[in-house]
Amino acid sequence: MIYKILLSIWMSLIITAVFLYVEPATGFPGEVSRILFFHVPMAWVATLAFLLSMIASCVYLITRKVNADFLAQSSAELGFLFCFLATVTGSIFAKATWGSFWNWDPRETSIVMLLMIYGAYFVLRSAVPDHEKRRVFAGVYSILAFCTVPFLVFIVPRITTSLHPEDTLNPAKPGMDVKTLIFFLGSLCAYTGLFVWMLRLKVRVLRIMDKELNVKFKV
Amino acid sequence: MHPTKSGRWITQTVSSTYLSEAVAIWLRDLRSEFRTRYAVNSILMFALTTLVAVSFSIGSFRIEEAERPFLYAVLLWIILVFSALSGLSRSFVKEQETGTMDILKLSARPQAVFLGKLFFNLTMLGVLELIIVPAFILLMGYKIKFPGCFVAMMVTGGLGLGAGTTLVAAMIAQANTRGALFSALSFPLLLPLIITAIKGSERAAYGISAAGWPEIKIAAAYAVIMITVSLLLFPLIWEE
Repeated sequence: MIYKILLSIWMSLIITAVFLYVEPATGFPGEVSRILFFHVPMAWVATLAFLLSMIASCVYLITRKVNADFLAQSSAELGFLFCFLATVTGSIFAKATWGSFWNWDPRETSIVMLLMIYGAYFVLRSAVPDHEKRRVFAGVYSILAFCTVPFLVFIVPRITTSLHPEDTLNPAKPGMDVKTLIFFLGSLCAYTGLFVWMLRLKVRVLRIMDKELNVKFKV
Repeated sequence: MHPTKSGRWITQTVSSTYLSEAVAIWLRDLRSEFRTRYAVNSILMFALTTLVAVSFSIGSFRIEEAERPFLYAVLLWIILVFSALSGLSRSFVKEQETGTMDILKLSARPQAVFLGKLFFNLTMLGVLELIIVPAFILLMGYKIKFPGCFVAMMVTGGLGLGAGTTLVAAMIAQANTRGALFSALSFPLLLPLIITAIKGSERAAYGISAAGWPEIKIAAAYAVIMITVSLLLFPLIWEE
């Protein structure tokens, strides 16, 4: 409860500040660069969620503990949600700066690939009736899919050039001023906190559903 | 106590290696495929139908000369990938439908089963490419400047296709909606390979030489990675 309240105050502060307090970055038309505070944290959370899902799948395949699979499934679902949001916000940014919503930039290709992999992951989950088998298959598929990601991340960008503003808006480069950096990191923390809260809720829901199901079958 | 029985057991485990078991499964699948011709017929008919549709609607002169190497590579790979997806799941679905899966589980080690099925799928892909690629080149008037590289791209691309789909086929054979699920699950895995293969075929057709032919290497690396990971993961889904 206290976590929820703190998180809501923190997020409201960050969102208000990035619109009213922080000046937009130079080199971008109008207010466009403010999307940095939303798009990048979403992409970061999506990456974190997919990585967590992958690790939880491995843990499940080794230990066969049901909780690990609940974590893998919830994390994949939330990752999909954040990945979708990152795609939408990125697309809006692309329209504002490059002139079109979609032009198969390497970044756009790899994010679509991710959405497709996890779309297929959910289809697989819904298609296997047996619980145990479903968990194993989902784990195996997510590991297999993970092995194809390096090809897209490292090879497709070599074939075509990217328009993604890497150098101008990368927090690791000294191009960003201190005020922007502070609020950017604040936003990153806020979104990660939001993800953790949602993840705990989701895992709890799955655990309760599983318990209900078991009770029903026993009665 | 039972020397003959235990003796036989020992000789059996020593004499049958992974490879010999895999080859036995491969030959058995080829024989049963030769009798029913189910997989090869469905793959080839799908490929021929799409090829005829493409050739009929585009012909050999509709696309301008400069655009041909790229667009033809795209069309060729679309035909190959979707024909392969229409029939490659057959190798495992067949075992499930005829009820021979349990016996196969008992009589061979999982990795050997995987390799046998992989060899079978690669044979199917080889037949598909041997028929469709020359037909495509003839029908569409596809001019290829570097035939050697084109052939190498087809071979490594085919290897990658087989490597990326065999494990998925084993999974969907045990799921309850088989047809559409196979394409839905395989396509995201194959996407990097398809992009690479199209690029490589285009380059071979244009006649642009590049040091070391990166696309062929990438496709070969993809095949090796997918086969290795599949060999590691296959026992998990096979012994369920």
